[in-house]
Amino acid sequence: MISFLEALQTNPMLLSAVVAGLASSIASGIIGSYVVVKRIVFICGSISHSVLSGIGFCLWLERTKGIEWITPLQGALVAGILSALLIGWIRLHYRQREDSIIAALWSVGMAVGILFISQTPGFNVELTNFLIGNILWVTPSDLNTLFALDVLVILCVLCLHKRFLAICFDEEQARLQGLPVNALYLLLLVLTAVSIVLLIQVVGIILVMTMLTIPAAIANLFSRRLSHVMCMAVGISCLFCFGGTALAYNLDWPAGATIALTAGIAYIATPLIRGLR
Amino acid sequence: MNSELPTISLHDVCFSYQDTLVLKNISFLVNPGEFIGIIGPNGGGKTTLIKLLLGFLKPLSGSISIFNQMATLPRQQIAYVPQSLHFDKDFPISVLELVMQGCLSKLPWYGIFRQTDKKKALDALEKVGLLDFQNHPFGSLSGGQSQRALIARALASEPDLLLLDEPTASVDTQAEGDIYRILKELQGKMTIMMVTHNLQAAIELFDRVICVQQTASIINPEQLCEHFVHGLYHTPLIKLQKPIPL
Repeated sequence: MISFLEALQTNPMLLSAVVAGLASSIASGIIGSYVVVKRIVFICGSISHSVLSGIGFCLWLERTKGIEWITPLQGALVAGILSALLIGWIRLHYRQREDSIIAALWSVGMAVGILFISQTPGFNVELTNFLIGNILWVTPSDLNTLFALDVLVILCVLCLHKRFLAICFDEEQARLQGLPVNALYLLLLVLTAVSIVLLIQVVGIILVMTMLTIPAAIANLFSRRLSHVMCMAVGISCLFCFGGTALAYNLDWPAGATIALTAGIAYIATPLIRGLR
Repeated sequence: MNSELPTISLHDVCFSYQDTLVLKNISFLVNPGEFIGIIGPNGGGKTTLIKLLLGFLKPLSGSISIFNQMATLPRQQIAYVPQSLHFDKDFPISVLELVMQGCLSKLPWYGIFRQTDKKKALDALEKVGLLDFQNHPFGSLSGGQSQRALIARALASEPDLLLLDEPTASVDTQAEGDIYRILKELQGKMTIMMVTHNLQAAIELFDRVICVQQTASIINPEQLCEHFVHGLYHTPLIKLQKPIPL
């Protein structure tokens, strides 16, 4: 651990990685709490995998068409938001076939991304980075985007938390009270997509669900108020990111996978430890 | 509450789920301050009627007018207590947070409830005897306490019309008595419509009873036994009544 702390002071790339992890934890801890209590984890899985289409498209534009101002993170964000809106619309209008359509969107989104990446020079490295994550690959511009999106998520949740709580708990009551339930649901999915994009930087597409759900699920074991669950989830997520990166540094393991593994072990261990007490 | 106009006015309302006709030519008026019971067999259309009044469903034909306005959401003068709330017992929400949801229509854009609304929620909790449970998780309450909390949520919105869909269906006898006591205290202060299978309560509490069995017929509580004798209901409900003189 001491060598990791020393490396943080001397290695700006490692410092950026830790900062990116902590920045992602803020949004994912907050939004992940809604995802867990609203039980929309499957929807999040679909959004996270559809994001690959945007990443692939932007990489293809950048490498083959020479459009340099566009970044994979921006592509991921646009694809994530579009997927969230599409899935939300499907849920609101075709609930009977919701799961099949979401699953189809999940695989089609990935397929589009893989096709674009296959047409892009050097795709193997990029594909691996996006699928399993590479926190050390965060650029200063990515960090700025992460902070901006964090601020957006926090402001939205500060103003809308009680409304989101209402639609998560009892949509019928929220509708009776005159809340725009469908619009709030779509907004929640969009914020979820934003959080997913933040987390892809840290743990990658395949492991993103772990970080979005596990901190909130653990926090839910200790608290019975959603606002408290959110604060705890942010803290737990920060702990996983910091601890996982330190472990990965010392063991020379991939950072994303190590963070996700740390979270997974903690999730299994928490109820066991509680049971022993 | 406007004392001159009827609170609810239904005229020739029909409703069907796809090809199944559930309600046919329903017409009735409910006056301000009345306590109306809705009874009828399972599948007779009681809950559908409540959902039409709430504006969650739209009638196939006919008109529904509440407070002299056509049925359109939102209707913040209306509060609703469901039969039971299907929710995750581990959902992180306190009893006070649940009751505050009755004040959501007055929530400012910045998302912090005003003190006056919080006071209304606390008053409602006191009225149903759950003030000491305000910080408890809602999932930790018993069935009867949960229903009382849902009644408190309805009362926090200070409604003119309270709709209840079998609020005592899944609670024990003592909790049922508590709920009827609360409703009796509310009688006359607002218009109340309640779906129930409890015929004794129908006789003791309600000003009028609406029998819903695809069509609706208005009867007085004292007429209830006569109607059941004529085979309106199935056996278990008849058993709840006094022995039928042969």
